[in-house]
Formats: sequence, C-alpha cells, structure tokens
Amino acid sequence: MIGRLLVALLVCHGAQAAGVVSLNLCTDQYLVRLAPERVAALSPLARDPSLSVVATEAAGLPWVRADAEAVLKLAPDLVLAAEWGAQTTLQALERRGVRVVRSDLPEDFAAIRRETMRLARLLRVEARGVALLAAMDATLAGVVPGAKLAATVLEPRGYTAGVGSLADSVLRAAGLRNAGSGRRQDLETLLAHPPALLVMADAPAYPSLATDFLSHPALARLPTRRLPPAMLVCGGPWTADAVRLLAP
Amino acid sequence: MIRGLVAAGLGLGALGLLLGAAGFGVPDSAIVWQLRLPRTLLAGLVGAGLGLSGAVLQGGLRNRLADPGLLGIGGGAALGAVVAFYWGLSARFAPALPLGGLAGAGVACLALFGLAGRAPSAPSLILAGVALSALASALLALALALAPNPFALAEITFWLMGGLQDRSLGHLALAAPPILVGMAVLLRLGPGLDALALGEDVARSLGRPVGRTLLWAAIGSALAVGAGTAVAGSIGFVGLVVPHLLRPVLGERPARLLPAAALAGAVLLLGADLLARAAPLLLPLSQEPPLGVLTALLGAPFLVRIARQVAP
Repeated sequence: MIGRLLVALLVCHGAQAAGVVSLNLCTDQYLVRLAPERVAALSPLARDPSLSVVATEAAGLPWVRADAEAVLKLAPDLVLAAEWGAQTTLQALERRGVRVVRSDLPEDFAAIRRETMRLARLLRVEARGVALLAAMDATLAGVVPGAKLAATVLEPRGYTAGVGSLADSVLRAAGLRNAGSGRRQDLETLLAHPPALLVMADAPAYPSLATDFLSHPALARLPTRRLPPAMLVCGGPWTADAVRLLAP
Repeated sequence: MIRGLVAAGLGLGALGLLLGAAGFGVPDSAIVWQLRLPRTLLAGLVGAGLGLSGAVLQGGLRNRLADPGLLGIGGGAALGAVVAFYWGLSARFAPALPLGGLAGAGVACLALFGLAGRAPSAPSLILAGVALSALASALLALALALAPNPFALAEITFWLMGGLQDRSLGHLALAAPPILVGMAVLLRLGPGLDALALGEDVARSLGRPVGRTLLWAAIGSALAVGAGTAVAGSIGFVGLVVPHLLRPVLGERPARLLPAAALAGAVLLLGADLLARAAPLLLPLSQEPPLGVLTALLGAPFLVRIARQVAP
C-alpha cells in the first residue's frame, strides 16, 4: 500500500516536477494564464506592469535571462520562446536536448484561439485554454459595433499600427476603422491630417524618448483614447479587454 | 559681418517656421507654434551656445582643435541628462533634465582641465578630450543598458548624434535660461581671452589671470553646452568649425570673434536642422538624419584640415 502510494507520488512528481521556462514576454503571459504552477522561470519583462498583463502574478515567480547556462541550471522540461530573438540561446539549449517550442505570436483573434489551444494542449491544461477562450468570446460578444470612426493607434516613436497588426485586429473588433499605415508617422503630418480618434498607450512606468513623443503637448487637442500599455504588446485571450475599452 | 549673420539667422529662422514634415507652408497654426517654433528656436540657441563655447575654448586653451564635442563636454552633458531622464528625475522635477546635462558637462570640463593641465600642447589636450569622450560614450551606453526602461539602449543614437525632432515649447523653456546665462558668461570673457593671447604673464599683469578665465570658460560652457545637449543630444563639430570660418574675415582677436561665433553657430545649426527636415521630403528616407551626422559630415573634413595645419 505504502509502496504503491510512493510509486504514485514519484510518477506524479516525475510528470510535474521539471518546470517550464519562458524566454519571451508573450509566452510568459500565456504560461502564467494557462499553467502558473508549472513556471520554472519567466523572462524579466514579465514583471513589468507597462509591458505585461500578468505583472502581479509574475512578481512572485522566478525569472531568468535568455542565457543558455542560466536556463540549463533550471533543468526545464520545456522552454517557450518566440520565432525571433535569442535564437542562438535556443539552439544551444536544443543541442543540449532541451525541448524548445517557438510560438508564432498571434496578431488576430483566430490566431489567438489557435495559439491558446496549442499551448494549452502542450501544457496539458486544455480545460483552462477552453475557459480562457470562453471568457474572451463573452467579452467580445458584449461589444456593440460603432460607427466605423477612423482611428490611428500611435505607438512609441510615432509608429502607427498597420493592417494585419494586433492593434488593427483590436480596432476592427471594436467597430473602428484603422487609419494607420504601419509606418512611422511624424507629429506634423498627424496634426495636418488628424484621425477622428487617436489611440495611445498610457504613459509607461519608466521614461524614454520613444514614449515622451506620445505626451507632446501638440497632441493634446486631438480626441484620444488611452489604453493600459501592456494591452497591445502581446496578443492573447486578454486582448478582448482592449476591445472592450475601445468600443464606444 | 554681424549684420549678415543676423540676417541669415532671421531668414533661416523664418524658413524654419515654414518647412516641416507636413510640407512647405502653414498647414495648421498648431504645427507652426507647437512644433516648428520650439524646434527652430532651439536650433538657434543650441547652435549659438556650441559656436560660442568653441570660440572661447579655442581662445582659452590656445588650441585650434578645441570643441565642446571633441573634448568630451558634450558627452559628459549627454551622460548627465541620460541619468536624469531615464531614472525618472526629470519626470518628477522637469528642470532636472538641464541640470543633469549641466552637471555632466561641468564634471567633464573639470576632468579635462585636470587631465590636460593649464596650457596643454595640442596633442595632449586632444588626447585628453578623446579619452574623456570615449569614457563618456561608454558610460552613456552603460547607463542606457542599466536604465529601468528595457528599450532605452535603442535611443543611444539621439544622445550620441543629436536631433531636434518633436521638441516642445517645454523643452525650450527648460533649455533657454541656462543657455542664455552661459552665453552671457562666455561673451564677457573677450578681454580675458585677448589678454591670454599675449601670454600668461601679460594676462596676469593685466589683472586677468589665466586660471580665472579658464574657470569662467568652464562654467559658461557647462551652462551653454550642458543645457543644450540635455534637450538636443550631443552635436559635434559646430564649435570647431565656426571660429575657423570666422577668423579669415574677423581676424584672430577672441573678443571680436565671440559675438560672431554665437551668431554663426546659430546659423550653422539652423541650416543643418533645415537640411535634416528637408531630407525626408526630398529623398526616400523613412526618417530624418540625426543632426549630429550632418554637422559631422561638414566638420570632419575641417578637423582633418586643421590637424594638418597644426601638425609640425
């Protein structure tokens, strides 16, 4: 009896013990929402409230730099990362036999649904994936489409959200028309041809010239809607909240 | 000469109100007053501070290669401003930005005079300046890498190469008072620099000891260059080029050179800023070239020419 319990414990331990390391801000957020108990480490950006929607949860979890040695020390059974960035680190980890899964970061709601379920299956928490998507769809269903106002999403350094971007999907879901080009927009051109609505992220926690641009006094006279800055960084089930905040 | 420079400055300034990314003309009054006006005035003020500081440093150090950028004063200013900006000091107390630039420039001036001595030979002064500039750039990169904002390092081009895009009236209000005070300090140094040109002993006997002149040159440069760099990044070569352009016309006397150097610095940077604004309108560029790139393209050949003249 005791022997069987021990074996059961060991098996259970073997399946759950080794954790998951995420080296990308976006996979950090999926991992925390889907399986916080499996986190071995997140990227350091996950705890930044201006970038991450799971900053509160991440503050209590360990973090690791994208450095092969530091990750190997944690002996993870799975490493989550993006298709771009830190590829040499990921290749080094794969050479050492660590399983690396790269996420193709979703930019629209169909891709968010696919990616949520793919990662949920990978982490063997399908029920949680289904629940997250159900909550997302409930939020989206509550949005009443508006009068298709022309809106420009202004990002740090003056970049605008172009067609096919996450912000573009959010605008369309909120019943707005995206007037952005995806290219950099200087203040003069923006003021000369102002959109009906300007969408910007709230001022982030730490100053930078890139975000200083967004608080230029010349922008003050344009009708503006501000979103928490972490909302448009990564696409995920939480993106529905951005739609809710932008809908009329 | 002075009248010609004033006319050129006013002409370029007027052009500065009419030209921008939205095209030539007046598309909207807010564009003119909130974007082009602060940018134009800052170009004039920052350029004036750099040109004047260059003329004073060349006179005070009796060295034709002296320039606030080459000697590391601009680098020190950028470092001070970066610390004040990225660590949130200037978000809580706006004047911390020019004060940071001023403090950095002041420390760099002190270090320079300490390293190179009182009447240094041209190579030893320039070597001290090169060492200081390199140290300041390295510390700048370190500060940006350690800054709380994870993307701060991407902004290193602004701090190393300068720029005036999207500056606001707020930036103008922060930078103008220290630059103007610094220029007032530097403009009063004419007689002291004239005396110094005759030798240290003569200067002392005329009641203008070299130590005091250099101290005020350092204070004035820290104010004028430090505050300018805090809002426009480091812009090199203006202080080097301007006195050399003026000497063939105005002669060698520093006192005559100083007011013209301030005006010529303003004209030079106004012109460079107009070029930077015009570049994306004329060429298929996705953004403006940094201001310091344009002044370096003009200034680097000058440096080569002057260095050849100075070398034995």
